[in-house]
Amino acid sequence: MEGGDATRARRATVRLCSICNQRKAALKRPKTLEQICRECFYVVFEDEIHRTIVDNHLFKPGERVAIGASGGKDSTVLAYVLSELNRRHNYGLDLFLLSVDEGITGYRDDSLETVKRNEIQYGLPLKIVSYKTLYGWTMDEIVKAIGLKNNCTFCGVFRRQALDRGAAVMKADKLVTGHNADDMAETILLNILRGDIARLGRCTLITTGEDGPIPRCKPFKYTYEKEIIYTYAYFKKLDYFSTECIYSPNAYRGFAREFIKDLERIRPRAILDIIRSGENFRISSSTKMPEQGTCERCGYISSQKLCKACVLLDGLNRGLPKQGIGRTKGLNKSKDEENKNSSFHSKPCGTLDI
Amino acid sequence: MHLTLEFGGGLELLCKSVKIHEVDVDTKSGEDKLTMKDLLSWIQANVIKERPEMFMKGDSVRPGVLVLVNDCDWELSGNLDTTLEEKDVVVFISTLHGG
Amino acid sequence: MSSCGSACQSHCSRSDEAQDSNEGDSRISNLSIASEPPKADGLPALCSKCGVSVRVYSGMCADCFRAHIFGKFKLAVTNNALISPSDKLLVAFSGGPVSRVALQFVHELQYKAFNSWVASKSQALPVFGVGVAFIDERVFSHHPSCEVDNAIEEIKLIVSELTPVQKELHILSIESLCSLGPNDGKSGLNHLLETISDSTGRDDFLHYLRMLSLQKIALDFGYNKLVLGSCTSTIARHIISATVKGQGYSLPADLQYIDARWEIPVVLPLRDCLGQELSMVCHLDGLKTQKVLDRPHVGINALVSSFIARLQHENPSRESTILRTAEKLKPFHFNKFSKNGYHDFLPSRLRCKFQNVKDDSSTTEVLCPICGSPLDESDLQSLKTIQLKSQESLNNFISQCCQSCHFQILPKNEVPLVHFYSLLPQSFTRRVEISSLRDQIKDCLISDDDDTS
Repeated sequence: MEGGDATRARRATVRLCSICNQRKAALKRPKTLEQICRECFYVVFEDEIHRTIVDNHLFKPGERVAIGASGGKDSTVLAYVLSELNRRHNYGLDLFLLSVDEGITGYRDDSLETVKRNEIQYGLPLKIVSYKTLYGWTMDEIVKAIGLKNNCTFCGVFRRQALDRGAAVMKADKLVTGHNADDMAETILLNILRGDIARLGRCTLITTGEDGPIPRCKPFKYTYEKEIIYTYAYFKKLDYFSTECIYSPNAYRGFAREFIKDLERIRPRAILDIIRSGENFRISSSTKMPEQGTCERCGYISSQKLCKACVLLDGLNRGLPKQGIGRTKGLNKSKDEENKNSSFHSKPCGTLDI
Repeated sequence: MHLTLEFGGGLELLCKSVKIHEVDVDTKSGEDKLTMKDLLSWIQANVIKERPEMFMKGDSVRPGVLVLVNDCDWELSGNLDTTLEEKDVVVFISTLHGG
Repeated sequence: MSSCGSACQSHCSRSDEAQDSNEGDSRISNLSIASEPPKADGLPALCSKCGVSVRVYSGMCADCFRAHIFGKFKLAVTNNALISPSDKLLVAFSGGPVSRVALQFVHELQYKAFNSWVASKSQALPVFGVGVAFIDERVFSHHPSCEVDNAIEEIKLIVSELTPVQKELHILSIESLCSLGPNDGKSGLNHLLETISDSTGRDDFLHYLRMLSLQKIALDFGYNKLVLGSCTSTIARHIISATVKGQGYSLPADLQYIDARWEIPVVLPLRDCLGQELSMVCHLDGLKTQKVLDRPHVGINALVSSFIARLQHENPSRESTILRTAEKLKPFHFNKFSKNGYHDFLPSRLRCKFQNVKDDSSTTEVLCPICGSPLDESDLQSLKTIQLKSQESLNNFISQCCQSCHFQILPKNEVPLVHFYSLLPQSFTRRVEISSLRDQIKDCLISDDDDTS
């Protein structure tokens, strides 16, 4: 409590970093409860991700890797950390940013600006693929056609494909996404809540789709969202964009998300425990996993004749937008609504060679 | 007491999309200190314009909202009991929105 | 499945039950929509089953609803051969609605078996016996002791009224397992709980202690099965809390109809009934429950409860869906009865169903001595790495505890850990001795093989 810096040091508990023992501790790692300083935090944070990458053999030298970039905090920090680690540890990766433009006015245009700044900051090339060019429809147009009820189904299915298709166009060997430990814990819970045993088995894998055209992996699988935010907050120059999608105030996912945050407050390790549970579930081998084939129309991997995106598109283009959503309910719509919907001109399914 | 408040991760939407607020908060008469607890209720009354439940839960911030006082996690300075001083910078970041 | 129709109460409609597993979701939501009382024309809505009486709950009249719930219980019992005529069952009764219904339904089965015994000439098939266990947890109650005494008197009255076959009531206080050495049970238990710093861990530890107390009663009085009133709602909560505590591997062990890893096997005949439904049965039948004895959850368990309550409110079939997801996970070898001769009392047609099941019990699981969970791969790996300088038996003990118990129950430092171990009832510590004995025998057998080769 001596003069000079005293203004900052007067606070009740001034502890030193438990790693370097020199600087003031600035945060408590949720994983270990260690109190450490900013400088040591960067080191352990990046080291841990490096370990995850190495231990799980996520990349091979010379691979061309697409970073799924939404402009949000996770992908922004991922782009930063990956470019940093690639340089430092000579991964030999050819990295680039890949963004999807759903065509939501007032939402995506802003976040794409953020990605464009990332492009300059980290010197990573950027490729933007749009729903409009891939599918012939923007999300704004889809919402106009189907209303607000099932638009997330469209967006989710389309986005998943859009990243893959974009990665294929860019001749990428792998696609990385910014899904963090909190996201994974949330997905595990949601799959239990909705009884989806097949997804429950798959959702904890760090790399998926190894048999498909473009494997995806999640280097942040064991990384707490909180630590990603620390990283973001400390590097003021890390650009970060976040708003709720204007079309999706998703209450259901919100419940699970809030539950996880409440849990984290009581017991930070619970997030990793959920992931451990997910990895250890005794999912019997007799549980049928859908067989992988390819979509007859677009060539994308699909367990059915047509992939989900083509089914949805088909519906949109034929003016039966409920087609492919849920069970068969949507097909028995009242005449009035069908007539209204069919006034939309049919649009061709966007084709892209994979 | 002059403080700099910063809202991020979507919380800025609750206060007219303004991220940084330079504010002067009155301390209770006879005291020259302000705790985070006092500050939170002041923010709720004076800064948050909509959906206060996205920011607060009970008398603290909602779980999933990160609080940094001068770049230090408030967990290390006593959470609600953290005392604030002139020209402190307090950052709130929500993790409840997507990323 | 339609075979049990004749054994059911007159208005129990079996064909509906058979479809239950497929259509559960849609049916439940249909029923709850239908349960809003009068229709637009002002006439009261009629029961969706009999079409005669007025709807009371779940779209059914009181009789049909009760028969529907009893049918679920009965189906669980017959389909899994949970009760055989030679059994002596101990029903765990907490005073709450779920175990109250369990007691009532078991009583009704016994009553029916007794009547047919009286009526039959040969009187060849014995009637299974039923006893009731109550664990007195007044040490933790916020209510004055006299209120608890009153509640216990009520329980005695309830049990005594379940005639004509009298049921013995066994009351054991939760602290009695802890009365070792110089400590009396109460201070022993309190000291033990003080060494557990995590509140969720303390809550769970009490749960394990309760289970062992029930086991003790069953063992001491010669019962061969323990009936627990775990319902869909309790199990759904357990599924989420176990997941949150990292116990995903052992989870399927806890939600099957049969759990034979205990000395006295445990059966869960109410597994497919929702808590709400069972409360309704209590209400309709005028079955008394004891609110005084309720124990609120704490820590993570409380958080999970409120989370599930919220989800259930938003979608009344959520708890069933959670159970159905976890049901698809692979159960363990001890989740069935495998003793020779166990299924002898079954009709031959049913018997082959159980006997043809291949016995893969060769895979032995190491069980955590505290919670009884089978250890997963990473537990087993960390098992070898723990070494304390102190006593060997403590070493053995903690090396077999699962990671979850390590985190939330075992004290972190050596001195409190030794203290914890010294206070731990034998019922816990004995489990390790038994399993290490088994290992030694196995080792001997293996070395014999080596010699001969």
